[in-house]
Amino acid sequence: MAIKFYKTPELEKPDLICGWPGIGRIGIMAVDYLRRAIAAEELGEIEPWDFFQPSKATIQDGLLKELEFPTNKFYYQRLGTRDLLLFVGEEQPTEDGVIYATGEKGYKMANLVLDVANKFSCQRVYTSGAAVTQIHHTLKPRVWAVPNNEDLIDEVRDYENTVLMSDIEGRQGQGAISGLNGLLLGAAKKRGIEALCLMGEIPYYLQASPWPYPKASISVLEVLVGKLGIDIDLIPLDEMARKIEESIESFLSSLYEAEAIPPPIRDQIKESIEKMKHVRESRGPITGEDEKRIMEHIDEFFKRGER
Amino acid sequence: MKEQVEIYSQPELENTSLVVGWQEDAGKLGSKIINYLNEHIKGKLFCEIEPVKFFPLGGVSIHKDVARFPISRFYAGTRKDLVVFDSNQPPNEQYQFLTNLLDVSKYYCKTKDLYTVSGTIVPIAHTTPRRLLAVFNQPEFQIKLRGYELNSMTWEGPPAINSFLLWVAQKRDIPGVSLWPEVAFYLAATEDLKAAKVVLSFFDRRFDLGLDWTELDSQIKAQSEKIARLRREDPEIDKYIRTLEVGLSLNEEEQLKLARGVTEFLEKTPA
Repeated sequence: MAIKFYKTPELEKPDLICGWPGIGRIGIMAVDYLRRAIAAEELGEIEPWDFFQPSKATIQDGLLKELEFPTNKFYYQRLGTRDLLLFVGEEQPTEDGVIYATGEKGYKMANLVLDVANKFSCQRVYTSGAAVTQIHHTLKPRVWAVPNNEDLIDEVRDYENTVLMSDIEGRQGQGAISGLNGLLLGAAKKRGIEALCLMGEIPYYLQASPWPYPKASISVLEVLVGKLGIDIDLIPLDEMARKIEESIESFLSSLYEAEAIPPPIRDQIKESIEKMKHVRESRGPITGEDEKRIMEHIDEFFKRGER
Repeated sequence: MKEQVEIYSQPELENTSLVVGWQEDAGKLGSKIINYLNEHIKGKLFCEIEPVKFFPLGGVSIHKDVARFPISRFYAGTRKDLVVFDSNQPPNEQYQFLTNLLDVSKYYCKTKDLYTVSGTIVPIAHTTPRRLLAVFNQPEFQIKLRGYELNSMTWEGPPAINSFLLWVAQKRDIPGVSLWPEVAFYLAATEDLKAAKVVLSFFDRRFDLGLDWTELDSQIKAQSEKIARLRREDPEIDKYIRTLEVGLSLNEEEQLKLARGVTEFLEKTPA
């Protein structure tokens, strides 16, 4: 279990920004987009075989030529006043068939990432992911920020379009972050490294959708580039978000008319989703039971679409 | 043990007393005591039990806006004979965890005796003096600590982690005592500072610490004043506390109202 470095550049107290796949691919899309936008160079990778199953075999003339694994790569860039490290993981190491990293493998992966942070004397680690909530897909997603250190709370309050857990109705400052995003925050706390998780809001009815949700990645990126004091072109991501929004609209139109769903439930789904166009983040009118019932039908609908 | 324990340094320790406190404790006693002792001995982290195997690692919990992560840390400082262990209670593999704890104390701390702290919730008023109850794992140690105003506990029920630790220590012939200061039930969700002082006073005498009480006394005074203000503002709360002060009991609903009222008031009222 090792980290392979391609080069060891001199970096001055860089920040490390990490992205993995998760709901809506919000985190990985934000970090990978940033990587390309700043033309970050490859720095190294975590050797994958202890964490992942191989994803592809190349066999030619009866000979195994190559076995590919999901990659977990580090990148770096010097940005004038600030140096930056990026980590993009194609998969989260999982155990027991769960979606997110858990247990020993996840913790080891988080610590390997932090070994690199320590090696380059990183001053802060950012992770990013999704915040599933009651927001309509036409509204601008906010960013939920969770620091691993009380001292960061005041700083976070100054970020644009960003909320702390205590700002969210019904949360009272409590919650949980699953997978590597959470483990990295915790393992960084244990090492005394300050870290911040930025989670872009995604409508609950899209949490099982096959599409990415770039609209939330944009919100996360806006916070990141604002904090880093850099400027990147977000137009291509905006364009992608617009196209996906069209697909969502089309999907919802089909859902509202789907014969397979009993009419009263269809009406309830439509009403629940459409009223969120005008009311941001209201936990009141929709109950947990309603949400569960709606999600069951939407999940089924997505599965049919995939088939 | 090797893989589950990380040693950062090896302080010079001899015949140590090991003080164990848990983060999850009534009246926030464990962390209060540990922090106070640590500050006094200028404790530095020298060893940690790794969380893998002992804590669920599916992510992190968030409390008061900030990500939390389990800790299990050993500290030593200016005293060669005192080690402090500050930890969350592990939900998994407790026997292995406690064995690791005692392995570190044996091989790296040369521990001669063990002290654990946990609050015991009782239906008393905050103005009532707290007793310090105690459970020993060896009669000889119980005799040795006579004169420290410890009250022997009698109880039967599901064991707390401190009892489990005492038992594991007993099997390894390490004398130990579990200290159970009384915590006024309506301070259990916040801080029972008087209960903390009872325990710290014991440690002060036992280890000849020479603790400075200025800060804690001022915190106790501030807490008492806040509750006095609440009593003036809320006659119902005052009535419940008076009932306890004269030795009568409250019914379940009254207890809940009192606990909720005091907790909310203390949390929202600045010092």
